Amino acid sequence: MKRYAYYLSCINESMTKEVDRSIDLWQKDLGIELVKLHESTCCGGSNLDYVSPKHFALVNGRNIALAEKMGLDLIVSCNTCLMTIRTAKKKLDESPELKAEVNELLKQEGLEYRGTSDVRHLLWVLVDDVGLDTIRQKVKVPLKNYRIAPFYGCHILRPSKVLGHDNPLEPSSLDQLIEALGGQTIPYEHKNRCCGFHTLLVAEEESLNVAAEALEEAMASKADFIVTPCPLCHTVLDGYQVKALKQAHIDNSIPVFHLSEMVGLALGYTAKQLGIKRHMVS
Amino acid sequence: MTVSTDQHKEEKKDVTFRVFRFNPQVDSKPYFDDYKIPVERGITVLRSLNYIKEHIDASVSFRAFCQAGICGSCSMRINGLSQLACTTQVWDVLAKCREEGIIKIEPLRNLPLIKDLIVDMDPLVDKMRHYSNWVDSTMAESEMGKKEFLVSEEEFLRYDKATDCILCASCVSECSILRANKDYVSPAVLLKSYRMNVDSRDGIHDLRLAELVKDHGVWDCTHCYRCQESCVKSIPIMDAIHGIREDAIECRGAKDTSGAKHAEAFMEDIEKKGKLVEATLPIRTNGVVWTLQNLLPMAVKMIMKRRTPPPPPLVKSSKGIKVFRAMFREMSEHVKQDQKSHKK
Repeated sequence: MKRYAYYLSCINESMTKEVDRSIDLWQKDLGIELVKLHESTCCGGSNLDYVSPKHFALVNGRNIALAEKMGLDLIVSCNTCLMTIRTAKKKLDESPELKAEVNELLKQEGLEYRGTSDVRHLLWVLVDDVGLDTIRQKVKVPLKNYRIAPFYGCHILRPSKVLGHDNPLEPSSLDQLIEALGGQTIPYEHKNRCCGFHTLLVAEEESLNVAAEALEEAMASKADFIVTPCPLCHTVLDGYQVKALKQAHIDNSIPVFHLSEMVGLALGYTAKQLGIKRHMVS
Repeated sequence: MTVSTDQHKEEKKDVTFRVFRFNPQVDSKPYFDDYKIPVERGITVLRSLNYIKEHIDASVSFRAFCQAGICGSCSMRINGLSQLACTTQVWDVLAKCREEGIIKIEPLRNLPLIKDLIVDMDPLVDKMRHYSNWVDSTMAESEMGKKEFLVSEEEFLRYDKATDCILCASCVSECSILRANKDYVSPAVLLKSYRMNVDSRDGIHDLRLAELVKDHGVWDCTHCYRCQESCVKSIPIMDAIHGIREDAIECRGAKDTSGAKHAEAFMEDIEKKGKLVEATLPIRTNGVVWTLQNLLPMAVKMIMKRRTPPPPPLVKSSKGIKVFRAMFREMSEHVKQDQKSHKK
């Protein structure tokens, strides 16, 4: 059983609880154990970095230090948390002064940021550590009748200098996972594009246009469902789907699954167990 | 010696350039023309297009000038990605083709099309004008030309990378929000605006910033990083966008616009609970009326699906919040000290 520290994303603790619930169901089946970091705090959601760069370094230096104290890599299942924490890690690793300032404060909690733990997305753990062969062997209900549109989302790909796992122009890890689970991936242009989440409350019309375009292309590609490794993308593509398609005058709908739910389905868990009934679009 | 011989060994291949064609004066809709030409290793996309124009079809229209990645006029979409034709090697593109041996050439997106691969840059120029993308000098006109206007190296380093922009508009073409609304300021203009606003010789910082925080301005960027990823000069455009936002919060306060309020909410919640209180985020960003008008119908459905975020009292603080809060507040003191010494 390979162990990892698991970062608790705010959205997965509130609106998209089904993500962590479904991971809890199957993690042991795939030989991994995700130890939840109840001490971790909000990463700042790609906003704190410019509101206060120093608090941003402190907050995320601490999030990583919690994992380092356990000697484990930090695993994240939200794209924006991933990009944000990796950005902080890069800044801390590149600036000894900033690292020293953060560590001086972290002493109060008996923590130290050293830069020894990697920060990775759950998708990368599945593809690189668990391995596609193992996953193929564990599949109980192959997704063979499904045409699946992978929607990577931005912050697992860009900025590539911070993320660096997939080629941002031609990402493949999610496609590989879909195929290992027996599904058929759909090539479509929006798979590495944006969902519009980060401006939903500031420029809603624009955000919904962005989302509608992605949904429209996935539907035109005759996908049975979209799958995404990011709960924020899911919130737009599922939660705001009705509103987005109404704005774009499109009379259609498409289910959107979390990565963790898709894995759960192939491993034999039911839609009810995985929390799929909590989605806004069924 | 073998290595250098290998490097100079020129390979040759037949490559198909699938070129976007549209002449609004005669065509009812756009189409693609295929041109199959022999290409040697080391040849750029621009040289290939020049070959097509000279030897096969003189009617193919595109802009190009310096042929050396300096003028920015030959930006176009090459296999879907906006980049300069003159610095893009055919061999590099071939290695990543979706359809083997076929290179698709299309005009930039998000700008009006004039003909084939030529787009109208005027909307971009108009935006640069609107956001005063020039240094409005603080030097009295009577002194101009008589004395130098020195800039310290430290200051120059703040906008050094931003000055690399050659206005090729690749970032404009790749922008997610511009695609959703053509009135959006656009990444290139935000980059230029940042560059002017941090220049100590400039005298209209506050006016420019006031324009940037309005609708379709800096807060409408959705952080997709496509601009930065496609920049042909590898300029960290998002750093400039974040730089304007940081400046806006510092100069105009955290209650200035919905964008600033939204960003500041993260800071407040992290200090208070260590967790984001999502239930009140729409109200704190846009007020009660907007929230009721825009989100009520969806909220009802969310309640039925048990999908609503918990109300503030039910958001559990992170474990060990007291010590965390003390550290967070101590960091606030560090920031205050930094600001004081910065002002000195």
